Amino acid sequence: MELDFLATLLLSSLSSAAILLIATVGLAVMFGLMGVINLAHGEFIMFGAYATLFATQIGIPYPLAIIFATIVTAIFGGIVELLIIRRLYGRIFDTLLATWGLSLVLYQSAVLIFGTVTPGIGLPISNIQIGDYSLSVYLLFLILVAVVLIGSLYWLLTKTSYGITARAAIQDRETASAVGVESARINTMTFALGSGLAGFAGAILLPAIPATPNMGFAFVIKAFLAVVAAGPVTLTGTVAVGSTLGMVGNITASFWTSVVGDIVFFLLTITILRIFPLGISGRWRMKL
Amino acid sequence: MKDSTSSISSLIRNFRLRSSDPSIFIALIFALTLAISSFWIDPYLAYVGTSWVIFGLLGLSLDLVWGRGGLLSLGQTSFYGIGGYVGSIAAINFAPLTGNSLIWALPFGAISGTILAALVGWFIFYGRMGSLQSTILTYTFTLIVWTITLSFTTEIGDAVVGGDNGMSNIPGFVLGFGEKASSLSPNMMFLTVVVISAIVYLIVAFIVRSPFGLVIDSIRLDAVKAELLGLDIRLFQTLMFMLAGAIAGIAGALFGAWANYLNPSIFSVQEALLVPIYVLVGGLGTLIGPFVGALTVGGLSFWLGGGVIGGQTTLVMGACLIVLVLFLRKGIVGGIQALFARIFDDLEAKDRLSQQTSQVRVNLNLLEKLQTSTNVQRDATLKTINTSKRFGGVLAVDSVSQNFAPGKVRCIIGPNGAGKSSYLKTCTGAYEPDSGTVLYSSQDITKINPFERVKLGLGIKMQTAQVFDELSVRQNLWIAGYGNGLNKERADQVSDEMLDVLNMREISTRQASTLSHGEQQWLDIGMVLCLAPSVILLDEPAAGMSKEEKRQLSELVRLMARTATVVVVDHDMDFVRTLDAEITVLHQGAVFAQAEIDELRKDERILDIYLGRRQSVTDF
Repeated sequence: MELDFLATLLLSSLSSAAILLIATVGLAVMFGLMGVINLAHGEFIMFGAYATLFATQIGIPYPLAIIFATIVTAIFGGIVELLIIRRLYGRIFDTLLATWGLSLVLYQSAVLIFGTVTPGIGLPISNIQIGDYSLSVYLLFLILVAVVLIGSLYWLLTKTSYGITARAAIQDRETASAVGVESARINTMTFALGSGLAGFAGAILLPAIPATPNMGFAFVIKAFLAVVAAGPVTLTGTVAVGSTLGMVGNITASFWTSVVGDIVFFLLTITILRIFPLGISGRWRMKL
Repeated sequence: MKDSTSSISSLIRNFRLRSSDPSIFIALIFALTLAISSFWIDPYLAYVGTSWVIFGLLGLSLDLVWGRGGLLSLGQTSFYGIGGYVGSIAAINFAPLTGNSLIWALPFGAISGTILAALVGWFIFYGRMGSLQSTILTYTFTLIVWTITLSFTTEIGDAVVGGDNGMSNIPGFVLGFGEKASSLSPNMMFLTVVVISAIVYLIVAFIVRSPFGLVIDSIRLDAVKAELLGLDIRLFQTLMFMLAGAIAGIAGALFGAWANYLNPSIFSVQEALLVPIYVLVGGLGTLIGPFVGALTVGGLSFWLGGGVIGGQTTLVMGACLIVLVLFLRKGIVGGIQALFARIFDDLEAKDRLSQQTSQVRVNLNLLEKLQTSTNVQRDATLKTINTSKRFGGVLAVDSVSQNFAPGKVRCIIGPNGAGKSSYLKTCTGAYEPDSGTVLYSSQDITKINPFERVKLGLGIKMQTAQVFDELSVRQNLWIAGYGNGLNKERADQVSDEMLDVLNMREISTRQASTLSHGEQQWLDIGMVLCLAPSVILLDEPAAGMSKEEKRQLSELVRLMARTATVVVVDHDMDFVRTLDAEITVLHQGAVFAQAEIDELRKDERILDIYLGRRQSVTDF
């Protein structure tokens, strides 16, 4: 194999790992700080993508549209938490089923409102040349976005008062409420944060992945598996599992098809879970 | 007057416990009504209705896994779809030879569903995966199977699997044999499916009432306790999952024959979403509920649907699921049962009041007789050699070496956080020690599962009273007698004897959840005794007991120690004093002292530890 091929493969694997991470962190945050798996996560990503599309169509420049979409999706998530998730507190499988219902409601609504085909975002896509191969600059840019995103999330959860109280609330709810942490409000904020991250994913990935009602599907298999394989130390675990498996999945996908990539990802995950039933971070000492 | 009400209520209660619940009769009447109606209903309704009954069968497979087994599986449609494809491929190829199509489709559907479920179940249950992880895994499994089938094309004999284009020419319902056999009319097809579903339901209802069903129930109620009774819970859960896979496979094969055509949409999320809806509408854990749910949902969309719901089934069903989960947890059948239960419970509540004064009085003479009559291994010992267990930076157990043998009660004491429970858990198998060895007599048991230790002869009572809430007192003891060896006769005999030992015969039909805290402790101890253990580990057995109960417990423990190895962990010093035991003091995870109680009382350092006085704590 030639060097340029290897370099291209490495970079494209890194960027698909980055895409996976961007699409997964929202899910990981919700699971880590609330113990909730949001099966509508993929549709929240789609929500963000359509919000961005809407914003650009009314004349808002793309970078601002990303912020707009993130905020709108976060607000939407907050409303969902208040109306549905809050009532199912402590009933983890009912929460799962309710978000599953929500995912299909959102999907079908998108089909009704937008149809199955949508116009692209219309950003000029430039490529760089590596030997005989070319790579999209935007995909490389996404690697940077993923790093910055994870870094700022880490800062948010360790350095801000919201992050510290949220982590306190999940570790020991009773003690947290005894010292005045309002876990209900924290949960609303966490769900909104996770939703906002999903919305951000949909927005930032829009130039690479066009908005369609079923675009969420492209991520959810890998996103769910990554979070489950990561285990209790969700953020670090997801970064570790997501980037490793994301790259492996991409390499297999580039030799065969994306379906094979998904299957390999799935097989790797169940193998990991067979060895570490609680996920790879089951015995880690860190908490984030 | 009072007597007559209580005798009536106990009659009702006994009836309910013997025949468990009337749902099996209701189900048969329900099936009979459907069967009779098949002779006069409109052929088109019969045709559509057939699919509802098939969906009910699919719902039954989820209800078994979820309502009984406690695992929410979102993967039942993959077993259903695979069963449909494999069954239909078999029917396409072999039905021309025999005429009859179902003798090919159904077994092949059932077997393929079973095999796939065994594979998934092995990963989930033998991997001891968390319940949320398992659910997500089944969901992603469904998604993966769906994406694979979208592009999967192959030809098997006359069957052409065409990816997204699907597979056509699937033979319909042919019951006759030979070349002249032809497909059934819609009405007869409906009847056939109702009869098959009723048979499957009866088999499941029978299994649920068998010891296997009781084991599945107890695993759902408390998996840890079930394992401490010597049950290999992984095996039972996998078998239950395989049974559900077989049912889903049969449903899939029936669906293939009904539609004469299959495509990957059978694996789709939209399809999968319907299954929990059927179960929730009908009532979770009721087994007949999924059929009621499927017929209700099907019927509503058939008569009301059309224009309103039109192509928006996905939207409506998604919203339905949210509403169901939020507001209607019990479903139709569950709601009816709850109504009946309220009427009966009022009678039972009165009954309970009259029994509330009953005090536990252990029949030690009988227990002693039983002890001497059973052929338990007499000289089994439990030994740990330099066992250590570390949690992060904390050394919870610090190379503890102990040799426990029968003859004298052994106690482990120590202040909070001394590592007593952690040490005990390395003995029970809940924790695997980081280093060191645990020996049962001469056998190394450091790495084996809790249930395997129980099979060897360990009896373990954890700190809190662990009883199966929804089971009766007798069932609790029965399952304890059954767990070790899976012998029904032994379970009957042992549970019967233990009722006498515990003096619980009068309350044997009561649900364990209605017992007082002290009674639950005794029941738990009774369950441990049912195992006829040769090494008994008791973690704070006297917690929550009255003075008199503690006295009886102390006698019981000393009696057991004559023939078995008994280790008691406690910090109730009044109780420990009565045990006449050899005592091991743990401090900061390590053995601090080991002596008789009188000797220890002279030891100033022990007092220091308990009182938190500085000198010895730091010197040590």
